[in-house]
Amino acid sequence: MSEQLTLYLHEISPFSQKVELALVEANAPPYKVYRVDLRNKSEWFTSKVNPVGQVPVVTYGGPNTEPDNPSPLSAKIAESNVILEFLADLYPDSGLLPKNPILRAKVRFFINAITKHIEGTYFSFLRGNESLDNALNAIEFIQELLEEGSDFAIGDHYTIADACISPHLARLKIVTETDIGNFPVGMGYKLGEELKGPKFAKFKKYAQGMLDRPSLKQIYDEEIVIEYFKSIFTDRVQ
Amino acid sequence: MSEQLTLYLHKVSPFSQKIQLALAEANAPYRAYQVNLRNKPEWFTSKLNPVGQVPVLTYGGPNVNPEDPSSLSAKIVESNVILEFLADLYPNSGLLPKDPVLRAKVRFFIDATMKHVEGTYLAFVQGNESFDNVLKAIEFIQELLEEGRNFAVGDHYTIADACISPHLARLKIVTETDIGNFPAGMGYRLGEELEGPRFAKFKKYAQRMLDRPGFQQTHDEEAIIGYFKRRFTNRIQ
Repeated sequence: MSEQLTLYLHEISPFSQKVELALVEANAPPYKVYRVDLRNKSEWFTSKVNPVGQVPVVTYGGPNTEPDNPSPLSAKIAESNVILEFLADLYPDSGLLPKNPILRAKVRFFINAITKHIEGTYFSFLRGNESLDNALNAIEFIQELLEEGSDFAIGDHYTIADACISPHLARLKIVTETDIGNFPVGMGYKLGEELKGPKFAKFKKYAQGMLDRPSLKQIYDEEIVIEYFKSIFTDRVQ
Repeated sequence: MSEQLTLYLHKVSPFSQKIQLALAEANAPYRAYQVNLRNKPEWFTSKLNPVGQVPVLTYGGPNVNPEDPSSLSAKIVESNVILEFLADLYPNSGLLPKDPVLRAKVRFFIDATMKHVEGTYLAFVQGNESFDNVLKAIEFIQELLEEGRNFAVGDHYTIADACISPHLARLKIVTETDIGNFPAGMGYRLGEELEGPRFAKFKKYAQRMLDRPGFQQTHDEEAIIGYFKRRFTNRIQ
């Protein structure tokens, strides 16, 4: 009998979606999902699940309680990339991580690159604090790591590297198609044009492949994210 | 016959030292090569790490001279990626526990080290972060330490301990010498705060880490102080 697993998430959070994608792609045994109201956080969430108050959080083990009544006996695991590794440990035959140590290192290096270049540089660009050129260099760094001729970032199976980047790829598509962001007007469109060029063909192909996967379509609602972006990016730099 | 393992490092780099500590803990045989970071050899950037940083680990391939790395070896960069790689290579070393929940605790500790020590605390030393925020950062780390335990997570030395220990040694230097780009005296003040009851658990853990033989063997305090004096010459007022 497997242990209970509950995922606390929010549909606008790319970090939550990394974890959802990994669970779906791994064909994980049944788990519970609970949507946290981030603007009106319940007291039990910060006191019993995550003092930092952020999603995603996974609870694992302990008695099978209602998600809004978490047991002190369950393990609480926060930080999306920590949770991804945890799922790879729980489901060692799912392919979420390869068995070979060198390939595993490649997956982790890819995730490290996402933290630096996407969650770092590219996010700064969205906030109006980084140049388009640097955003393009960042994406190029990621492109260099992509396995040649494979549908996946590393090796020949969906790994936590793919789960880690996919929610960001979905939101990158919104930015290039709507120009929503705090960068100067038009920079989103320009980014989109650059990414359509021959220099980024490998990246574009990989990204499209990730966006076409049923797992993403199952958990991702583009309209909600577009509305959310409109509400947070209201301060364009000139 | 096990594969060759070569670690390219620099003795003042805390990121390099993390790897030395993990290798010592795993009792793993390896070759160490110190890279001249101020005058980087061409073969280092072209064959090992285009970004030009240490640590770099090469694994496998023929047993060559470190200055002539083979294209057949795997090249692994980023200290925390290398730590996980070593835990994979040596699954019975204790570098990572077997239990998934404990493994997650180790990784959360490493994530916290990245955010609060390699982020906030290093920014403070560079003169870019407030004293109050540094104390909060160290307190966050302290909260993760279990009372009465010798190690960051569980009852064995893990990559969590290897990850933070080099930074603890350099923190000690900062509090004892006041070297840094923060305003004069802030380093001494930090030391005083850390001596107080609020940080007793942290101080005890830090001292245990610094007292370990594996640590002493890889720590060159004079070289680090010399490097810090050259590096931190721009105090903010």
